[in-house]
Parts: sequence; structure tokens; C-alpha cells
Amino acid sequence: MSLTRRGFLVGTTALAAGASVPVPFFLPKYHFDRRPLRSRVAILHAEQYSQKLDGVLESGLRLFLIDVRGKRVVLKPNLVDYAPGDAINTHPSLVLAAAESFRRMGAKSVVVAEGPGHQRDTQLMLSKSGYERALRDEQIQFVDLNRDELIRTPLRASYTGMQHLWLPRTVVLADFVVSMPKIKTHHWSGVTLSLKNMFGIVPGSRYGWPKNILHWKGISESILDICATVPISFVIADGIVAMEGNGPLNGTPRRLGKIVLADDPVAADAACVRLMGLAPSRIVHVCEGARFLGNADQRHIDHIGETGRPPANAFRAVPNL
Amino acid sequence: MPTVTTDAIVLSNLLAELALRQLPCGGWAALRSSAQPAIEPSCYCALALSSALSTSHAERAFEFLVQSQNRNGSWPAFAGDDQEGAWVTALALISLRDLRAAIPARLKGFQWLMNSAGRESDWLWRWKFRTADRHVRFDPVKFGWPWFPSTVSWVVPTAWSLLALKQLACSCGSFEQATFRVGRGIEMLLDRACPGGGWNAGNGVVYGVAVAPHPDDTAIALLALTDHRQETVVQAGLQYLEHTAVDLDAPWSLAWTILALAAYGQDVTTLQRRLASMPDLLAIGDTSTLALVLLALDHNQALLDLGVIS
Repeated sequence: MSLTRRGFLVGTTALAAGASVPVPFFLPKYHFDRRPLRSRVAILHAEQYSQKLDGVLESGLRLFLIDVRGKRVVLKPNLVDYAPGDAINTHPSLVLAAAESFRRMGAKSVVVAEGPGHQRDTQLMLSKSGYERALRDEQIQFVDLNRDELIRTPLRASYTGMQHLWLPRTVVLADFVVSMPKIKTHHWSGVTLSLKNMFGIVPGSRYGWPKNILHWKGISESILDICATVPISFVIADGIVAMEGNGPLNGTPRRLGKIVLADDPVAADAACVRLMGLAPSRIVHVCEGARFLGNADQRHIDHIGETGRPPANAFRAVPNL
Repeated sequence: MPTVTTDAIVLSNLLAELALRQLPCGGWAALRSSAQPAIEPSCYCALALSSALSTSHAERAFEFLVQSQNRNGSWPAFAGDDQEGAWVTALALISLRDLRAAIPARLKGFQWLMNSAGRESDWLWRWKFRTADRHVRFDPVKFGWPWFPSTVSWVVPTAWSLLALKQLACSCGSFEQATFRVGRGIEMLLDRACPGGGWNAGNGVVYGVAVAPHPDDTAIALLALTDHRQETVVQAGLQYLEHTAVDLDAPWSLAWTILALAAYGQDVTTLQRRLASMPDLLAIGDTSTLALVLLALDHNQALLDLGVIS
């Protein structure tokens, strides 16, 4: 869009006149209320990535009333880029443990699916991050969401003003989507947890690398529209080694020793934010999501298993948070 | 003819696999498991098959590309996509360069490309990036092309657009802005390089921290900058790529690396051997990667077809 200086001055005057209205979230832009009466969150203790994760996760999942029998389960980890250490991506051993658990619970199929936002060479990502070998050994299918077949999908909320997104068939047709984020700070959205993790379902082949249109439409707004359209059935968040500071790529590893499970993505993210020593009220998309996508209010959340306590030192974040 | 160092059986198997994956419409889907024809894989496949003189497959592919053009002169990302146009327009223009029947389509495409620009080309957004939004280090005066309309410039679409515009016979008539756009695009690529050498999507420094480069983005940027090889940034990119190539084990990135290093006159025989001997090449689900492998194994012809050398 081209705008003249004169047009800009007229526009800014009009904006100033309406500045008393607290935009952009003054009016609700959702058309349904998906909040359950009660949400369940379990915080599990796990010191390191090892084969013991299988047992930890399986016993954690038993705390929930999950029925995946005959369902197509999609595990959506957070694969951003490859770099030494365990702090950027959801660790493959946790994804394998989840896949194995859902298989044992009777899922019709379990696939791991992701569309990295910056790296076009998905195979290089899988190889360098340890996923390729792990998935091959366990015979788990991986779907590159950046290149999957696309379905024109009307959006079920209107925060971005977009009417629809082209979304991958694998995700749109899934019966049970499990968001598996890394617990990290994020320099644009504050944190990257189960809701922000869903940026990865937006295909690069249609929207580019990075998926820049989502930034222009507003990161919080895009998160809300995407999560309204593709419901997250369950959350398994990797906080064994988390990240603080300039995430999602250049932050500092932070050993947290936790895995967070939840049947509600907003409750999961609120719990993770508290575990990071931050306030959910500071995260725009969590606050707004709590109006229709899930519960952030502790009064509506049942903590099963261990109760997480905020750390003595809160996670460092970039200055604008 | 394919480069002599490569195995003829590997090449013929790859060609047969590509031919097998061609959809009835003449295009290719991004993944073997899909039936949704997409422009990017179709361009790479058309180039790979045409240089191998697989004419009937290539002709059907070119026909598909011409028929897929949007009314506004752009190309969509895939058949059935919305009509506003995408970065693959540059790739389609390059792929159709030798097709006489496609001249009118290409002229419309070039026109669209000339009107497509990163959002920072507008003074208001430039002002925003200079004052309020300075977390990513870049010079907004130096703009190129976006992946899709209404977003900022990025490295890969800018590099492809530069290569496409290199094929314009003259900067005259409705293309008089071409020289300006090419100059700005080159400046933009040089500006967006990573501090240690090479390119990623286009964010070299974020919140004061250098972000790592990627081999494929670096290679594509280098292909567009062969006329500027004396630039320090280009030399740093080449060094990064040479260093990275030593243990690259992913066919997509290795193929791009071979093409870029070959474009700068380097011996890529060893890299080609490594690529050709990778296990299960035919099992690669991503069709663009498969076509890229073929192009890299026949790099001289590929660089001609891509318009990198003439």
C-alpha cells in the first residue's frame, strides 16, 4: 500500500482523536467459547532427557481422561533451527516418548509434523537436530508442513482481519493435535509456548520463510486466529532445559527440569508462564485467549500431580516485555 | 550433457522418478504423497527434464506453467491458490525463458515483478523501521522483493527476482525502472548478510545478536551476485559455503551449494560425488529436492538454464 505524507497526517490526526479507545482488543473478535468448565494441568519432574522419559510421560498422561483410540494424532513439536545444545527445539526424546504413549493408547496413527519458520531445508533441520535418526529408528512418519497439501480454511476468529488461511491437510484433518512447545521466552511475543507453537502449521510454501504476513497482521492476533481455527487437543511442553533471554533462537539455556501436560492450551501456557516466574497477564495472547480458548484463571484449573512453584529468579526476557 | 563425474545410472533413475511424479496437468506437487500441483517444484522439474532432453515431459510442464499464470501477470504458489501472486513469479519467468510461445506471458510477469516490492520501499514503513522498530538491523532504504505481497523484502525472493530481471533485454519502455530495482536489490542482499559471512532468510542481526546463516539461502544469494564477486560480503559468503560444504549431508542444501560454488568457478567434483552417492535419493519425498539434485549433478547446464551464466 502506498501512502502520501498528506494522507499520513490526516490519518494520524484521526487516530489521535480515537486514541481513548483501547485497541486492538476492545471488542471480542471470536465467535464461540471453547473454555472448559475445568481445565487440568500436570507439572512433571524430569531432570534430563533420557529413556526414563517414557515412563514419566506415560504415568503423566494417565492422570488425564484422554481417549485417542482410532484417532489420527498429530504431534507438533517446536523446531526452529539447529544449534548446539538442547534449548532451542523440543527435544526428540520427548516427542518419541509421546508418540510411543499415544500408540499404546490406541491411536489409529501418530505423525510428527512441523513447518520450520526460517529454515527452508527441513531435512537438514531434522538431521542436525537429531530428529531424523530418532524418527527413523522408531518408524514414526514426519510431515513437512511447509510443503504439505493445502486446504483453504476459513478462520474462526477475526483478530487479523484475514478471512482464511491455507493450512496443511495433515493438521486440518487430524483428530487430535498435540502442541509440544519448548518453554522459552520470545523476543516478539514474550513467550513461545503451546499457542505460539502453532505458527509452525502455517505453510512456508504459501506464506514464505519466515511467515512474515503473520508478523504484519500482528503476532498475538495471528496466534489467536490460528488457535481458534485449529483446536489444540493436548499440550506436552518441554521445560527440562528451557530458554530465557533473547529467545526463540539466541537466548540462554535454563535448566527447569519440568514437563507440563494440560488438556487446555491456555491453562498450559499460563502454568508455564508462572513456572518461568512471569505473569500471564503480561502475555497478550494468553490474556485474550483466556476469553474464549481456555482458562488462565487458577480458579478454573485443577493441578494434578506436582504443583509448580515460580523460580526464585524469574526468566530473563527482552526489555520490551 | 550431464557432468562426466556423475553416475549415468543415478541420473537416469532420478529422471525416471521425476517423470513418474509428473501429474496429469503437467505440473508437480511439492511432496510425492500430494496431488496438488505447485509452481516451485514444477519449475525445478521442468528445468531438470528440459536440460536432460526429456522433451515431452518438459513441454507439458511448460504448458502447465503458462496456464497457471494469474490474470495480473503473477504466478500463484500452487494451482487453486488465491490470485494476488507470489515470489515464484520470478522462478516461472526464469523457467520459461526459452519458450517463444510464453513471451506475452513473460512480459506480463515482468511487469508484475517490477511493481512488486518489499513494504519498506514505502516511505512510511521506512520511517517506522528507522525510528520505532529497530530490533532487526537492516537498512530499509535498500529494498528488494517479498515472498508475498504486503510484507517486507527477504533474501531468497530478491535473489530470484534479480536473476529473472537479468534476462530482460533492455531497461526501456515500461521496464525503465529495472536498472534502479536491480541496483536496490543488490544493495539489499549485501546489506542483509550475516556478520560472519553468508545469508539466512534475511535477518543478520536481531536484538544486537548475530543470527546464523543457512547454506541454501547463502547459495541462492550468491547465484544472484556473480557479477559482484569482488564484494567483501560475497567473498565472506563463499568462504562460509566452502566451510559448511565439508559436512553437509542434506541433499537440498548440498545441491544449492554445488550450484553456487560452481558458479564461482570452484571444483565441485567431490561434492557431486557425495551427492550422487547419497543413499535413498529416489525415496526423497520432497520433489523440489529431487529436481535440485539433478540440476546440481548437471551444474553447467543448470547454471545456463537458471540464467546465472550466459
